Amino acid sequence: MVSGLLALLLWQVLASYGPISDSTIPTAGESLVSLWGLLWEPETWASLWATMQMAVIGFVIAIAIAIPVGVLIGLSRFAYRSTKFTFDFFKVIPPIVIIPITILVFGPTIQMGVFLVAFSIVFALAIQTAYGVRDADPVLLDTMRAYGLGTVMQVRYARLPSAAPFIAVGLRISASAALIVSVVAGLLGGAPGLGRDLQLAQAGGQSARTFALVLLLGILGILVSRGITILQRRIAFWIPA
Amino acid sequence: MRIGHRLLAVLIGAWLPVLLVYLWWSASAESTNPYFPPLSRIWSRFLELWVFAEWPTHVLPSLRNLALGYAIAVVLGLVLGGLVGASRGAGRYVEPLIDFFRSIPAVATVPIFIIVFGLDASMRVAAISVGALWPILLATMQGVRATDPTLMDTVRVFGVSRTATLWRVQVPGAAPLIFSGLQIGLQIAFVVTIASEFLGSGFGIGAFTLIATDSFLILDAWTGVILMGLLGYAINIIFDGVERVSLRWYYGQKKLA
Repeated sequence: MVSGLLALLLWQVLASYGPISDSTIPTAGESLVSLWGLLWEPETWASLWATMQMAVIGFVIAIAIAIPVGVLIGLSRFAYRSTKFTFDFFKVIPPIVIIPITILVFGPTIQMGVFLVAFSIVFALAIQTAYGVRDADPVLLDTMRAYGLGTVMQVRYARLPSAAPFIAVGLRISASAALIVSVVAGLLGGAPGLGRDLQLAQAGGQSARTFALVLLLGILGILVSRGITILQRRIAFWIPA
Repeated sequence: MRIGHRLLAVLIGAWLPVLLVYLWWSASAESTNPYFPPLSRIWSRFLELWVFAEWPTHVLPSLRNLALGYAIAVVLGLVLGGLVGASRGAGRYVEPLIDFFRSIPAVATVPIFIIVFGLDASMRVAAISVGALWPILLATMQGVRATDPTLMDTVRVFGVSRTATLWRVQVPGAAPLIFSGLQIGLQIAFVVTIASEFLGSGFGIGAFTLIATDSFLILDAWTGVILMGLLGYAINIIFDGVERVSLRWYYGQKKLA
């Protein structure tokens, strides 16, 4: 708290008196006033809604695909080893590189943001799930097999519980990534939301507004990551956050 | 026998990508959809542009910015992270700030750097280095702080100076954690490199691809996307290699334990 205030003060002094005071860089005060103004504009909330919509829908689609696929891959050694390279490849490639293609195919729409969000997390989440499924206790699996319990029972009572912590970690990382990608889809691809507002503010030379939007994104990022921690403690309380 | 095993492992890993590329190739062969041109045409355009005619104009400037920005981030991250991590008081004041800066998506800070630096290369290098700095800084701080207390006591008993302790015991000891920060930093650096070119630039691979997209040069856009994907993948592979070599002592230690 103290350090935050000091940083704002330093910014204010530098932007008002230093060698950069003649430039277009806004002072901390101007930026905060602009941030306050933003909170009273209905457009800001509409943008926030669009950004969250893309993040959440993309996230849900990615989960719906990645977890079943991850479980199936994890069940077979051959499938795991066959898909590993391909999934790793797409996991490592940043989603930003396919933005030009999504601009062509989807145009600057909500769908584009949803696709980018889902694409950016589905591979990592599937790998996490498969890895967790493979990590199940072999003695437990052998015991279940000896008692004649089939694959469905094994998945339900041995594989999924073992994968749960891995999936939880994957979900946590994915949720933060979903928000970032949703903003980036707006900033670089023109999809609606806070990202596009930021791009428009910068291109229009509204520097205080640009700084205010970036501050807003930082606050949003912190709120979301706090929110995830709380949710995880509630839902998956046995997994250390 | 072992060679046979390795060959089999490569085959198992490779059949799916080969199949996917084949499917793409054959499915797009007769394609008249303007957005999905035949892969064969994308491929020949790729060879024309990127092997290696356009490297000096588009690829090398991007890589230069990336290398410079990342190098600055690594040096600053290690030095500041080491200093802040070693002092008990500083961490408490600085950590919330770092947390805040880290919460801002690195790509979203690019507009700010455009306002501050304009549209030249210094803007790109600054945005890359600041974006990549936070994970490296944080990992170094945490790693230094987590040094084994027994080791610290031993060092103190032998009268090693605080500076030597920090740079020769604590920071190297934190290497495994620091490397994970370095990897995240590198991925961010790559993303910011491309983003800074998307947002206004005449050259660089990101700029090339986005300009091609806006001008409906679909083939060129596809080659740019493929090249960026391959570069992004290659950078990670190189990093993994460097990490494996640098941390050989650590993995050896873990095996013994």
